[in-house]
Amino acid sequence: MQGFAFRHLLGRIAFLGALWVVLSGLEPKALAVGTVAVPAAVWLSLRLLPGPRHLAVWRALRHLPAFLGASLLGGLDVARRALSPRMPLAPGWVEVPVHLPDGGRVALGAELSLMPGTLAAGTRNDRLLIHLLDVNAGFEDAIPREEAAIAAMIDGEPAPREGG
Amino acid sequence: MTDLATHVFTGLGVLFFLAGSVGFLRFPDIFSRLHALTKADNLGLGFIALGVAFQAGSWRQVALLALIWALVLLAAGTVSQLVARHALRERDGR
Repeated sequence: MQGFAFRHLLGRIAFLGALWVVLSGLEPKALAVGTVAVPAAVWLSLRLLPGPRHLAVWRALRHLPAFLGASLLGGLDVARRALSPRMPLAPGWVEVPVHLPDGGRVALGAELSLMPGTLAAGTRNDRLLIHLLDVNAGFEDAIPREEAAIAAMIDGEPAPREGG
Repeated sequence: MTDLATHVFTGLGVLFFLAGSVGFLRFPDIFSRLHALTKADNLGLGFIALGVAFQAGSWRQVALLALIWALVLLAAGTVSQLVARHALRERDGR
């Protein structure tokens, strides 16, 4: 457990340190300010996002190409509908039960909002409210797949099961 | 060659921003409009950042462009949910 916590801390320091270097460069002055800013950011991140769960970074990275591909399709789809003279839309709603913790829900909602035809509008009674741009296009089929992908990124979360 | 890539990708980016704006004006309700803004503008900025990256002089500038795009992506995904949630509550009178 001690080793895990230490690795967890090192991961945050490495990530926020890299972010600092990208933002302000490698000049000695920038690095000097970073020796204060990075520990402060690490402290803040531990306060705002504590918890034993941590993001399985490699799983998130492995999911990235699929997400980028889907968001490309999402943009193409909405651009086609917007520019088409007939403007084919059939807006409607679906409610989908989700088994993710709060942060996971927000991540799922954000992801779905960038993917083809789906837009998250909060939750009601543990069901995610999803607006569909076209109720006949089967956009909602992606939701359980994305939920499973996000559940896999959150360590220690059991895989979501229907009716579980 | 890099100039050509910049022209092509920033041109694509402008097209997606245009499509997003057209959707924003044409689509019938706030939720459909949010689809247009978040999805099309995300691609618009992504392609413009990609195009500009071909002019970058260092790895740090490329990383900065990627960071800008990633942060806007995060903001778009979060803000569209908040706007949609608020609009739904208002519509349902809650």
